Amino acid sequence: MWKNIYLWLDERLGFDSLYANLLDRPEPKTTWWNTLGSASMFLFILQGLTGIFLTVYYTPSPDHAYDSIQYIMEGVAFGWLIRGIHHWGATLMVILVFIHMLRVFFTASFKFPRELTWLIGIGLFLATLGMGFTGYLLPWNQKAYWATTVGTQIAGTVPFLGEFTLKVLRGGPELSALTLQRFFAAHIWIIPAVLAALMGLHLYLIIKHGESHSPTKED
Amino acid sequence: MNEETKKQINERYERQLDKGERFWPDTIFKDLIMSLGIFVLLILLATFVGIPAEAKADPSDTSYIPRPEWYFLFLFKFLALYGQLPLIGKIEWLATVLVPAVALGVLTLIPFIEKSPHRHYSKRVLPISIMSIMVVGIVLLTLMSEVPTVSEDGSKLIGTLQTIAGIFIPAAAYILFFVFKSNTRLLIWTTSLAALSMIILSGTVLALAPEKHGEEVEVATTLVDQIVAGQDLYSVHCTECHGDDGSVAIIAGVEGLEGEKITPINSRDVLYTITDPSMYEVIAYGRPNAGMPPFGKTYGGELSRSEIDYITIFMRYSWDDRFDAPEIPELFPPLAEGEAPSYDVHIQPIVKRYCISCHRPDKDNNNYLMTTYEEILTTGDNVANNIIAGDENSYLLQTIQEHVIMNPEKPDEEMIGVMPPSKALKPNVIEVFIRWIMNGMPKTAAEAGVLFQSPTPAP
Ligand code: HEC
Ligand code: HEC
Ligand code: HEM
Repeated sequence: MWKNIYLWLDERLGFDSLYANLLDRPEPKTTWWNTLGSASMFLFILQGLTGIFLTVYYTPSPDHAYDSIQYIMEGVAFGWLIRGIHHWGATLMVILVFIHMLRVFFTASFKFPRELTWLIGIGLFLATLGMGFTGYLLPWNQKAYWATTVGTQIAGTVPFLGEFTLKVLRGGPELSALTLQRFFAAHIWIIPAVLAALMGLHLYLIIKHGESHSPTKED
Repeated sequence: MNEETKKQINERYERQLDKGERFWPDTIFKDLIMSLGIFVLLILLATFVGIPAEAKADPSDTSYIPRPEWYFLFLFKFLALYGQLPLIGKIEWLATVLVPAVALGVLTLIPFIEKSPHRHYSKRVLPISIMSIMVVGIVLLTLMSEVPTVSEDGSKLIGTLQTIAGIFIPAAAYILFFVFKSNTRLLIWTTSLAALSMIILSGTVLALAPEKHGEEVEVATTLVDQIVAGQDLYSVHCTECHGDDGSVAIIAGVEGLEGEKITPINSRDVLYTITDPSMYEVIAYGRPNAGMPPFGKTYGGELSRSEIDYITIFMRYSWDDRFDAPEIPELFPPLAEGEAPSYDVHIQPIVKRYCISCHRPDKDNNNYLMTTYEEILTTGDNVANNIIAGDENSYLLQTIQEHVIMNPEKPDEEMIGVMPPSKALKPNVIEVFIRWIMNGMPKTAAEAGVLFQSPTPAP
């Protein structure tokens, strides 16, 4: 029976060409430095899964955000573990993406024909930082509140556009319930959607061009 | 880039592929091991390091020192150092907008700025030098982010060193890079020397940095912790007017409010009619007309939002019959026969509950402060007699056992009243003080443990 299901699916999906196109590809000799990109992607998926779990209990309002986090830590079975993974995962993801970028720079892998992969990578880097910045406010504790206050203030120093940017970020002149709502939306919908789309493009280009080889004397 | 170079690049790549591996299973195997390692690392971090507790956001607490997420720290340090530069230091947007924007722009456009087709390190010394100094700078600025720019004695030396390491050396290196552009050897020397001197200077800064006294924010996370924290805060701030069980109906011994009739705050009248949000307001804003001062930071008091919440929780679970209090652990572990109490385990919680409300700065207390171990032993107008190791006549022991101390020079004048003035301590608390002083005031549990005398069996 399994065989029949397999054949049925194979007829419509074409496992062979999937296998040939995605998995059975030649690669130059790779090193451990080449694992950092896929490790960043693994962290993104992990952040997604743990994040979905957190939204089940989290409430994005100044009155309840803090208590709902407290509840996740104390009241929910393994809530502390899930939040712990999400918290440390965020930190690690920034480090990994940064080192991945440095490795691409130092091996000059951004050169022809991979210029576009680099440009999309910059988008991924900024979006990752954006995830960190928006996620930091959500627990609505002292650290979060004041870090975001100064963080958004910096945006306010931009000549001409400053005041406008500040208002867009905060949803008003001060940090308020609106700010929290806004950051929450950005953190769970807007930025992840951007990240996922960019990641898809990034991967498409990597499969298309193959991974670059480590530079040799003749390069 | 002309077609000929492109063709060469592609051919070279094909040759590397022939010598290479298969994505499945070779490459993906490494990727999976890496991801698995990261997953295990995350579980370990979540379990053994955890997430530090933080108090609830309090918009009124402007004294809180903001700290951004750690990977933005280098930017903040850069802004702080930049702000010290003469002249341009005043133009804020240069540092907050222009420098980051230019850096980001260059980073984005690298493939179009570095146009040479060469990939080997030996042919890319200039770009690698620029990036290396940038990365070293970012790492060092992050490490130095905690160090203030002015030391406690007002000297700016430490700030100057940081500015040299974090701004001047990298800037000088960048200028030299463009002077030596085509000389590989000089480029490598400049990079190494600049990086080395930056590291040495930052190391000096970190070594000189004033010891950080960790601002202790106590955050109660469990209900029991919150009730206990609330009770301690209540004892410090509220007992003088409302009594330690909230039952005071006529205020006694408070200047200006002597004999004032108030509603006992442990009564249903108060607890049932005031909801939690209004309780927050009452405590934060006080009852200025009736004589209760404001306690919230917003109105000039000393309590943060979380602290007022803890007091409310304490009041609910202790006096409000609609709430079932969980089991609250003892203030201090009971003493066994012959056991010597220590400051850390016994005296500190007792003092916090029963004495600190008056024995802290800006209160009437004969200058006797009790907020730390050292203060308890070394302050007070009668410091020589308050606590004498092994002496039952120490003033402290006398006053807590309801013996008034008279002024030795004018024997009919009272010098120290009974302590605490309103209500005598329970006998087991008095016993702790006596044994502590008779055993020479050990500080830690370990020091006290050495003094343990197992009861000698009766002959
Ligand atoms: C300097 C004396 C003083 C201190 C200290 C003080 N209070 Fe009061 N408190 C008063 C007075 C006076 C009233 C007015 C009582 C009345 O009107 O019946 C009052 C009223 C109250 C009420 C009842 C308000 C009402 O409308 O009935 C509450 C609750 C209360 N205080 C809680 C606290 C708490 C909690 C603290 C400690 C953070 C505290 N108080 C510290 C003097 C004080
Ligand atoms: C309600 C306020 C209050 C509380 C609570 C309180 N004290 Fe005092 N204490 C005072 C005042 C006021 C003095 C100054 C002497 C006097 O007026 O009696 C004083 C003086 C003292 C002195 C003498 C200091 C000196 O150098 O002259 C000692 C010792 C002392 N207190 C111990 C304690 C201890 C121990 C506790 C806790 C168990 C305590 N006090 C709680 C108000 C307080
Ligand atoms: C969320 C962030 C990112 C993810 C998930 C990601 C993912 C990946 C993966 C899976 C690879 C192939 C494996 C490897 O070489 O490591 C890769 C390669 C690459 N990445 Fe990223 N990346 C991210 C961020 C970036 C950034 C910030 C840059 C640079 C600005 C970048 C530029 C590149 C380039 C140029 C390659 C091709 C390297 C080569 O062929 O050797 N990426 N990325």
